[in-house]
Amino acid sequence: MNPVPSADFATRAGQAIGDTRLQTALGRVTAVFGSRRTAAFASLPDADGVRDAARAARLTAVTHLAEYLERFESALTANGARVYWAETTADANAIVADIATRRGCTRAVKSKSMVSEETHLNAALEAAGVTPIETDLGEYIVQLADDRPSHIIAPIIHLTRQDVGRVMEQRLRVPYTDDTQQLAATARVRLRGEFLRADMGISGANFGVADTGTIVLVTNEGNGRMVTTMPRVHVVLMGIEKLIGTLDELDACLKVLARSGTGQQLTVYTTMINGPRRAGDADGPEELHVVLLDNGRSRIRGGDTAEILGCIRCGACLNVCPVYRNIGGHAYGDTYPGPVGAVVTPGLRGLEPWRELPHASSLCGACRDVCPVRLDIPRMLLALRRDVADAGLQPRSLAAAMKLFAWTASRPRVYRGVSRLARAWLRTRARNGWIRALPGAAAGWTQSRDLPMPAARTFQEQWKARRS
Amino acid sequence: MEGTAIVSDARSRILARLRAAQRTGYVPAVQAVRPAGDGASNVRTTDASGSTATRHLLARFLDELTALGVEHHVEPDAEAVRARVRTIVGGDAVFRWHPASLPYGVGELFAAATDESSPREAQAAAACGITGCDAAIAETGSLALISGRGKPRAASLLPPTHVALVTPDQLRATMGEFFRERAAEIAAAANCTFVTGPSRTADIELTLTLGVHGPGRVVVIVGP
Repeated sequence: MNPVPSADFATRAGQAIGDTRLQTALGRVTAVFGSRRTAAFASLPDADGVRDAARAARLTAVTHLAEYLERFESALTANGARVYWAETTADANAIVADIATRRGCTRAVKSKSMVSEETHLNAALEAAGVTPIETDLGEYIVQLADDRPSHIIAPIIHLTRQDVGRVMEQRLRVPYTDDTQQLAATARVRLRGEFLRADMGISGANFGVADTGTIVLVTNEGNGRMVTTMPRVHVVLMGIEKLIGTLDELDACLKVLARSGTGQQLTVYTTMINGPRRAGDADGPEELHVVLLDNGRSRIRGGDTAEILGCIRCGACLNVCPVYRNIGGHAYGDTYPGPVGAVVTPGLRGLEPWRELPHASSLCGACRDVCPVRLDIPRMLLALRRDVADAGLQPRSLAAAMKLFAWTASRPRVYRGVSRLARAWLRTRARNGWIRALPGAAAGWTQSRDLPMPAARTFQEQWKARRS
Repeated sequence: MEGTAIVSDARSRILARLRAAQRTGYVPAVQAVRPAGDGASNVRTTDASGSTATRHLLARFLDELTALGVEHHVEPDAEAVRARVRTIVGGDAVFRWHPASLPYGVGELFAAATDESSPREAQAAAACGITGCDAAIAETGSLALISGRGKPRAASLLPPTHVALVTPDQLRATMGEFFRERAAEIAAAANCTFVTGPSRTADIELTLTLGVHGPGRVVVIVGP
């Protein structure tokens, strides 16, 4: 079952805007990431060329996705990995749980994986008798607090260090502290034990290289390396869209990923995984299982928003989005927040329950400007808005109003008469050139903005006067 | 096996859906491009002939290490390298690569140290990991580590301090250059990891914390 939103978007957004702590945190994180990103790209020679190369790598893979997947699968198999295909989130979870059961695994350490959030893998593992432990510091705290991540690369920006201190005090029974270094040290000690004890490691993938069957993971903390090195079984859960062709292309993609995400040249650990440990290897997992998840991606590929499958999940569009900056990640209601989420979520989960998300944008275009692979998110949001209207999913009042407008606009005489009347009426409501409130059905429009006073004469009247 | 049948069914259904989707869906046309100067025109490409090129690469590598907060030492001879390692290690427990995989005779200094054949508890208890590397990337200050016999991955991961030994001939300008030169070797190995600075996180209030899971202290020693 795909999840549906918990409340309507306006309610969720309203709650976020009223949360002053969240507002402070959002202001800080989006500003810091934004300026770091700018500085990081300034240090990249021919940054535009590298972005074009990364875009070409990702969109070429999306264009020929079926063929890339087959190449990827055969390279993985030749490398000694086992490949699984999952159509739905339930299938993916069942496959992972089944691997755990068959291989006798009971404790799974996880490095950050958005796809496992998408499938709600943790709950499925627990139901199968496997204890999942998140090991990214932010995700670990999310798990302890029974919370949800609110940013793609900084999952707990909505929490203060005091919040984190209280969560650890309650859940780990350690003395309260709000010292960041000590909190991280506590997590290190706890999770170190889990890394050494776990019999299964579960990761996502930042990229899959089709030619070589390479899984690429980037992390800063080192948990990604732990998860893929220490337990005897490693399971990769990834979306089918995360492919590129070659190691050469990987170079360009890595150059833009960290710069866009955190403003680093490169994340601390870039791990390329080509299979289970080789004969004679000193360490590493004995088995590598790769689960490829569709869950709506093939449907997205068939429509006008297929370009979104080129997303590399850097989070840059979140940080520049005037909507995300005001409402944060939770208000989007699902795994992927921000502009990318507004396109991806209706595609993955279905348009009907998520029809409000394509409207959660001012179409300012900041996301398109900042995107390392130059995805035209505003174009895709418009395509989705069109789909919402075509499917008759827009509010009834809006549909009726648009129908009335279409009727009027296609009858010049009526249009002229109505616009003259409307203009005269609107001008009576204006003070100092602005209309601050409208009655009835139009009240919603002026609730959060002012309408400029219409000109004394309509465009058609002015045009006629000028021509005569 | 029933499970296998279901799985392979999913495979053919997903691929069939994608093939149909590839005929109808819209993806903007793109042209394959190669960035000017390999996207790294500020790092001179390795020139096999000259020591000037090596000096230039080394200078850039050390600059990047400084920016990343990696301690680094350039030593004139193998004896100085060994002395430097001894100073850093002090009396700490060592987890090291096999002596044959470590340059400058450093492995022989710690003959009885924990290695790949030691129990995991001993590996986890070591305070200092000593490794070589397969390349040092000047542009980003990264150490490339290709997995293999005698080169436990955990030695650069479990101990709180990681000491990495670099020989000047291992310096490469960019990751791209390393990929092109060593593609076959990388593809044949189970794992290739680039280490770029100490383990870090900023998950709590964007406050930088080092060493959250991997080593919080990385020391690079470049010998002759």
